[in-house]
Amino acid sequence: MDVKTNKVRPRRHNQEMLPTSLMLLPSTLLLIVCSIYPFVWIFRYVCYNYNGFTATYTGTKNLERLVKDKQFWQSVGTTFEYAGLKLLFIIPLALLLAVMLHMRMKGHNLQRGILFMPTVIATSISGMIFAFIFATQNGILNAILQNLHLIKTPVKWLTSTDYVMAAVTILAVWGGLGNYMLYFITGLDGVSEDCYESAKIDGANGFKTFFFVTLPMLAPVLKTVLMLAITSAFKDYEAIMVLSKGGPGNRSMVMFLYIYNTIFGTANSSTQPQIGYGALLSVAAALIVGCVTVIYLFVSRKLDHITE
Amino acid sequence: MKRLNKTVAAVLAVSMAAALTACGGSDTANGATGTAATSASNAASGSETQAVTTTAQSDETVAEGKTLINVWTEDRHDQDYVQQMIDQYNQENTDNIQIKLTVITEDYKNMISLAYNGGTAPDVVGANGLPLNQFADTGILIPLNDYIDADQTYQTVNEPYTHAYEGRNYQNGQLYFVFSGMRSGVRVEYNEDLLEKSGYTEIPDNLTDYVAMAQKITDDGAGSYYGIGFTSSSPFERLLEMSAEISGVYYYDYINGKFDFSGYKPFVEKGQELVAAAYPDQQGVDNMRALFTEQSFALWSNASQEAGVFTSQLPITDFDWGVAAIPSLDGEIKGALETSPTKAYGIISTSQNQDAAWKVIAYFQSEDFLKGYLENGYCLPITDYMTSKIDSSKTGRLADFSKLDYEDVYPAVPSVNLQGDDYRTVLWNAVMGYVDVDEAIEDLNTRYNDALDSDVASGSVKRLVIKDYDPLHPSAGTAEYLSE
Repeated sequence: MDVKTNKVRPRRHNQEMLPTSLMLLPSTLLLIVCSIYPFVWIFRYVCYNYNGFTATYTGTKNLERLVKDKQFWQSVGTTFEYAGLKLLFIIPLALLLAVMLHMRMKGHNLQRGILFMPTVIATSISGMIFAFIFATQNGILNAILQNLHLIKTPVKWLTSTDYVMAAVTILAVWGGLGNYMLYFITGLDGVSEDCYESAKIDGANGFKTFFFVTLPMLAPVLKTVLMLAITSAFKDYEAIMVLSKGGPGNRSMVMFLYIYNTIFGTANSSTQPQIGYGALLSVAAALIVGCVTVIYLFVSRKLDHITE
Repeated sequence: MKRLNKTVAAVLAVSMAAALTACGGSDTANGATGTAATSASNAASGSETQAVTTTAQSDETVAEGKTLINVWTEDRHDQDYVQQMIDQYNQENTDNIQIKLTVITEDYKNMISLAYNGGTAPDVVGANGLPLNQFADTGILIPLNDYIDADQTYQTVNEPYTHAYEGRNYQNGQLYFVFSGMRSGVRVEYNEDLLEKSGYTEIPDNLTDYVAMAQKITDDGAGSYYGIGFTSSSPFERLLEMSAEISGVYYYDYINGKFDFSGYKPFVEKGQELVAAAYPDQQGVDNMRALFTEQSFALWSNASQEAGVFTSQLPITDFDWGVAAIPSLDGEIKGALETSPTKAYGIISTSQNQDAAWKVIAYFQSEDFLKGYLENGYCLPITDYMTSKIDSSKTGRLADFSKLDYEDVYPAVPSVNLQGDDYRTVLWNAVMGYVDVDEAIEDLNTRYNDALDSDVASGSVKRLVIKDYDPLHPSAGTAEYLSE
């Protein structure tokens, strides 16, 4: 009997593996071609001055430059600041909106659609839209604030080093809120009604239900959402590039925008595109984002077991 | 209720689709705030921010026995005229040549490089801004000396050796392309009506008076209009750097072969005073142009492309506008104002039909072709010959940007692997007060010269020295390239 079973299992196993492998093949190929190969490709040039046409071997000079590159390390600091500000607002707001919409209030589908809309607008377009909103002269935001008597003189949202981080954070929160809200709503849909009924029987009010039932039950989703939010916040640069170009005075220069400028952006008659050095910066940036993710996964490992 | 939900869902879906469609279009119209927004949107068709790739006559088939010459260009603004002339040539030429024009305005240099490496490069490329260190040193472009020397008519019309500019189109005695037009140096474009309201009729010749004028107009405007406007796109280059040039200050010391930014301090300080009198926002070029047409500020500065912008793209009809020379530091002209030579063509070394390719270039730079081109106002003539041949009354406001006797082309400065921001960004940051001007200049001198020394040592560039350099005639010196 045992012998018979052993003969059948590998065949069934093989039969199951084939369609699985075939289904995985296109995405695996795409991953190799579009992600893994380019990442390996950049290693070719980390020791070169490469302008897209000629490559000159420079040994460890790019590495020495990286260590001394104050502007890059400043941009790393700005990236942490930007990511911190974005996460500080976007996660609680997305969670709050998800909980409110999950209450199935009147018109919740319409509200969900409206809140999700910014997510489908291209970041470059939203960057341009917000350039009008944040304009000092005739800007919509300043007009509203002045009409509400909250400010007396127009705020220089994009030309003052004091306010530009607030401006890029508002844009980032506006653009990403709907996405995270949707993840949380999906998570909330998975929470059993029994838990809420039990809490009700035990006399828990809305506040207690949220903190002692909803939030713990959402922990695994929260862990994933936070990880996605952290990695995307560290990689954001497109909207900032359109909105403030990393200025004023590099105040909003984030890591990946600096890398973009190094490779493509600032070359003029007296400077060269620096693909080699940019490649090394990309590796450094990937390591930084990787380290942050690993630290987060280590810190957040308890969230997996919170409902057990 | 369900029907209502479906309706709402349908409306949302349509809205999203519309938003996506808007995002996916090729137009990237930059509006300005307030009343200028509409004008700016309309202006997008010729904006500096657009980028498209179009193949003219993509469905064209090559007639039997004809030699197809593929031409790539990044110039889109003149496509109608050029295509019309190509159509005429394709029908009438007796050399059995057929030209196919492709306009590529996005990532042009890399597209040529990729095509060259992939064996699909065209025969002829528009070479307006192709750097020689990338296209000549690598063998992508061939020297044209032999063709030029054998063509007397071409030499008469284009004066190739008079307009051979070191490091731009000429290197080691070889000419890789020849310019047949130019964009003027920067001028001040001003709103005559707003100037008159403040008691001015002309632009001062020195920066101190220019600053005072901008401040007076801003004060008189009392918030409804301002003295001057600056763009966020390379603002230092569009006035202060050029003012420094004509005051004898340049960022590269050609005599000693090193970078030197120490002369920029007074210009940064004047810039700080100008910014205090300026329109509060610094937006993209098209937005600021639109705001100028809406009389939001009185003084704007840019090169000869503004002639077309303010007559057809964003036509100014509500006020009179004038064009004047930019002010120098003290009113004296001590250096040349930089002009940009343009409208050049080169032959790619992989072309199998180089002789036919030269015939196409000779046609593009023939008197007949250029006369119509220049009279249409696409650019200014660079040669005395063509200047004498065109009817300048047909060029409209472009005539206001005619070449000044102190305009010239500067030799190409060594292109270095710079760490951090370039000088235009840093000096503008100093103008805006984000960094101290002395620290900025010291930082630039250090970073640029370190990069130059390092690149010369690694062999990726050579140090340019012009011992007989004359700031009023920068293109006239004798260039030396040093390896140390």
